[in-house]
Parts: sequence; structure tokens; C-alpha cells
Amino acid sequence: MLRMRNVKCFYGKIMALAGVSLSVDEGELVALIGANGSGKSTLMQAVCGLSQGFSGEIEFQGASLRKSRPQDVVARGIALVPEGRLLFPPLSVMDNLRLGAYLRYRKRDYMGIGMDIERVFALFPVLKERANQPSGTLSGGEQQMLAIGRALMARPRLLLLDEPSIGLAPLLVRKIFETLKELQAQGLTLLLVEQNAQAALSIADRGYVLENGKVVLAGEAGRLLLDQEVKRAYLGKDYSEFTEGRA
Amino acid sequence: MDSAPERRKADFMPVEVRTQRQLELLQASLNRACKTVDYYARKFTAACVSPGDVAGLSDLSRLPFTVRRDLAEHYPYGLFAVPLRDIVRIHTAPGMGANPTVTGYTKNDLLSWREITARALSAAGLTANDIVQIFLDPGLANWGRDYKDGAEFLEASVIPLTALAMEKQISVLRDYRVTALITCASLAERMLSALRASGAGPDLALKTLILVGEPVPPEDRARLSGENGLSTWIHYGLSEVPGPAIAFECPAHQGMHLAEDHFYAEVVDPETGEPVKAGDPGELCLTTLTTRAFPLVRFRTGDRVREVPGACSCGRTFKRIEWLSGRTDHSVILRGVKVSREQVFFHMERALGFLPKGLRLAKGRQADDDGLVVLVGVDDDLFSDEIKELESVMRKAAAVLRQELGIPVKVRLTEAMEENRDDPWIAET
Repeated sequence: MLRMRNVKCFYGKIMALAGVSLSVDEGELVALIGANGSGKSTLMQAVCGLSQGFSGEIEFQGASLRKSRPQDVVARGIALVPEGRLLFPPLSVMDNLRLGAYLRYRKRDYMGIGMDIERVFALFPVLKERANQPSGTLSGGEQQMLAIGRALMARPRLLLLDEPSIGLAPLLVRKIFETLKELQAQGLTLLLVEQNAQAALSIADRGYVLENGKVVLAGEAGRLLLDQEVKRAYLGKDYSEFTEGRA
Repeated sequence: MDSAPERRKADFMPVEVRTQRQLELLQASLNRACKTVDYYARKFTAACVSPGDVAGLSDLSRLPFTVRRDLAEHYPYGLFAVPLRDIVRIHTAPGMGANPTVTGYTKNDLLSWREITARALSAAGLTANDIVQIFLDPGLANWGRDYKDGAEFLEASVIPLTALAMEKQISVLRDYRVTALITCASLAERMLSALRASGAGPDLALKTLILVGEPVPPEDRARLSGENGLSTWIHYGLSEVPGPAIAFECPAHQGMHLAEDHFYAEVVDPETGEPVKAGDPGELCLTTLTTRAFPLVRFRTGDRVREVPGACSCGRTFKRIEWLSGRTDHSVILRGVKVSREQVFFHMERALGFLPKGLRLAKGRQADDDGLVVLVGVDDDLFSDEIKELESVMRKAAAVLRQELGIPVKVRLTEAMEENRDDPWIAET
């Protein structure tokens, strides 16, 4: 569904992505993990048309996303849950959800929008309770649910999530990630960008590890979870010497 | 086409999806190799290329080759890409000279090999109902372990590689009601001939013969299958690194499918190193895509292959190769084990204290257990009044070579012969 080949992105003279290739097939949940500054968010921005430019190829459903504006990307079926949620704090939960369906209002799909709002409420019942509350007053977990709900209102085929677990308590992370699995079971395709390698790989089908703008590991998520280097890099200490840890 | 439960996603993946996945895995593997293995970092720098230059699979040809000598020169751990703490298995295989080839495996690597061998065995029809015997020379002991893991994964009953004499192996094959035998063609020939001679042939439960380690000429295969009423399956692998069943036959028997989810294969002209035209014979060159501990970039196998064009009727989309006889270097495969002149010269010199002139090497006949025969021309350096002394020296040399190569070796004294150190192999008369 999504194919990236040799994508390079620069911030001035700094190469944030140094030739990244990755793919997400229809119905998959793919995790992209990496430390701060590894290029994860840059990659998301390139897909969404938020980057000033990239070289290489990004294709969605066989057609190039080059020079696509963000609204074109959304219209093609890709929605982003951005890092830090980026809600509209003074607006109510309901209004935030409606804004997610902005392009659909232009097509006067009022009935569909109403049904999808109910679907989001079924997915996150707490949002229904807070429907008229300004989104800025929600808890971190509720805000994350709203950010996901807002993205779903665009009826995406591919949902991109940038660090949805950031700043959330483990129980809430579990709840959010369970919802992502549920969405996948309903047929949605997901690309999940995370620093929380353990949580992301636990629910993903496949994964990529990004380091300094390069993919250094790729494979089945279960295998990556077993990988000692992944464990050390994201879950604990690293070894500085080749023979360290062996008598 | 195989039954649905045996169909594995990777084998049947659309080619365009695999091409994308291969590129992703290749770039990740090159990035890692360059970051963690000094040898690759230096070699790429010297060739003025970097992993970032590989924007497509065909760009791999811009990177330099890796050859067996490189493995020998980085003994023991110089090509390892992970800290030793991550290594859960260390394999030793006969090397090119003084040092053996050392390979490491992480836990994930072993899981991959288990899957690779299990998939290949499954394609040959092996199931949990089979009793599998593995009979290989010590020189292929590494494969014995991998095949054991793969067959056990299929929940077959496995008789692993053990240091039993041929007679005992034959007893096991007959008495344990073995249904599948994994061995090389020359050993299979010997075992089955002995069984037929003993009159035990018709009582055997054996149905499947997995032939490994050497290309099998069609006439030999037909004889093994026909005379014994067996289905035969050929697997291709590398005896030093990284393991067996890199390519395997499917029920269509129209070439061997390469495990392209773990390897990227090129067929190159052995002289120029340039890719040959599709379908032309050339040297198989392999790059690992998933290996964590011991990545190989453009490893020249020395094996002659030809890509089989077109789609396979089994439905698998893995590229197919035909394994051709002969090699592109001056080594020979004996009982599945590659034997190079460098190895033999080195160990002969070590055993004798000097390297005799006019040394010739031959593939032993059945009376020599199909092993290695080293022919030493008696010259002034070697001449001794005491024939017993000479024989003792030769026995010592044979023992050293047996130990190092893991196959039967005989050293014979002959009259002095013309020297040809570049290509010392002859057909023994």
C-alpha cells in the first residue's frame, strides 16, 4: 500500500533521512522505532506532504506522493495522528472530530460524518462523555484518543501515528495500543512510529529500526523483539566492547 | 501446488513485493555491516562506495566482492557484526589455510536457519510422520545441526548426525525404519548399494532422499531414485557459511528455489565479475539479507549455477537455479565438502615440514571411500631408504588432512610427477 524507496530528506545541510526504504502492505500494522533524532517524524512528514521536499520515491497505492499537498494526501486516504496530538484546545471534542472530517464536509457527506462520530465514540466511550468539553481540558490519554478519533474522521485507508504513547501512563498506552489492534482487525492499515519499542513491536506485524536517518534493522516484529541489539538500544544498556559480557 | 498449510507467505509472495522487501533488508544489512564490521567499512571506503549508494538491487554490483580468503584473514571474530555476548552458537568449518572458518549465530539467526531448513524439508514432503536420519561427514557437521533443528521443527523423529561407521549407519537406516535420509549423493550411493547387496533393499521404509553438498548429475540421480524406488530432492548450501538449504527443490523438480527472503543472489562471470545474461551459467554470489551475526556482502561461492527462467508450476515465486558441476575456483567437492588446493598444500607442508614437489590431488574412487587422494611423487627430498619411515610420514599427513577436512583422505607415494601448483587436480587412473 505504502512504498518508500531511498527517501532522503535534508534540514539545511543535515541529512535527516539518508536513503530510507520501507513498505506497509494492506492490512498490516508496521512499527517504525528509533531514538530521538533518528528521523522518524521527518519520515512521517515526508509521507504527509509536510516536508519541504525529499528525494527518492514515496508511493501510495501505486501512485507517487511527490509534490502532494497535505490536503491531497488526506484525500488520497492517509491520515496522521501527529506527535504531541496537536488538538485545537479551545474547541470541544465534537468540534475537533468534525475538523478531522473537513474534506468530507466539502463533499456534504453529513450522514457519513455522523455515523463515523458514533463509531469513534464506540471506540473511545469517554469521548462521548466529554463531547462538549474543550479538548484542552482532557487528560493526556483522552487527548490521545481524540487525536486518533480525529484522524479516523478522515476515513483513512492508512493511519500514521507519531509517538502516540508519549507522556502516557503504561495502562493508557496499553489501552491505546489495544485500540490500534482493533482498528487493524477492522481492516485499517497502520504505520506506528514509536520510541517505545517494546510496546510497538508487541502489537506490530513487522518493524523497522531507524538510526541516524538509516534503517539498520527490518523484519518481523516478533523477531525484532527478540533481537539483543534492539533490547539493548531501546530497553537497556549497550555493550561498548566486542567481548564485554563474556568471561 | 503444495497443500495450503504448507504454503508459506514468503515463498509465494508477489515478485514486486519481494523486490521491495529485499531492497529494504539489503539496505538495512549494508548499513549495519558498514557500522559494525571494520572490514566492510574499510572495503567500501576503499572502493569509494557506501551503503547509501545502493538505491536499487542492481546497485549492489557497485560494491566489492567478499571471497573465502577474507574469511580466513579475519579469524576468528573479525567479521562478526554483533558483540560476542549476542552469539549463541559458534561454528567451525575447514578454512583455506592455517585457520578454520569461524561463523557465529545469534538466537534470531538460529531461528532463521531452523525455518530455512524446515521449509526446504517441508517442500520435499517431510512431515511429523517421518523418521529422518542425517548422515554426513564431519566436514559438514554444521549442516547436521541445522538439518536436525529444521526436521525437529517439523516434529519429525530425527536421528542426528553421529560419529557412527558406515555399517552402523546402514543398520540404523534399516532397523529404525528411517523414511527420509539426508546425505550427500556419494554417501547415499554407498549406503544403498550395501543395502541392496545385503538383500535388505525391499524391506526398507526409506522413501525420501535429500541430497546435499554437491551437484548431482541427472544420471546419478536417476540411478539413486530408480534403483531404490525413492523420491530424491537436491538442496544447495554453503559448507562454511552460513548453512544448508539456501536453495531447495519443490515438487516440480525444475531447479532449486533460492531462499530470497534471506539472501540476494547474483550470477556473475567468474573472470570479469560482471553479471551474466539471464539463464547463462556463471558463479553464484550471495548477499545475506537477514543474518545478524555474520553478514556476507557479495560472497563468491565458487559454485557454478544457471538461473532457471520463467515461473515455477508449484506457485513459489522464489527465483530458481540449476546447480552445475565443476567450480569456478581450483577446489573440488568431495562427499559434500569443498576441498581447496590451498588447504591441502598448507596441511601437507605442516605435516611433512616441507611441501613436496609434484604434489597431485585426486577424487578418490569407491575403494578410497570417495574421499581425497593425495599423490606424492617421491623425489630426492622425500626419498628414504626406510620404506616404513616413508609410509609413517604419509600416514601422519593423511591423519592431519582427515582431521582438518573431515572426510576420508589417503596419501599415496608415486613416481615423481610434473608440478602444477595452480591446478594440481587430476583424474586418478
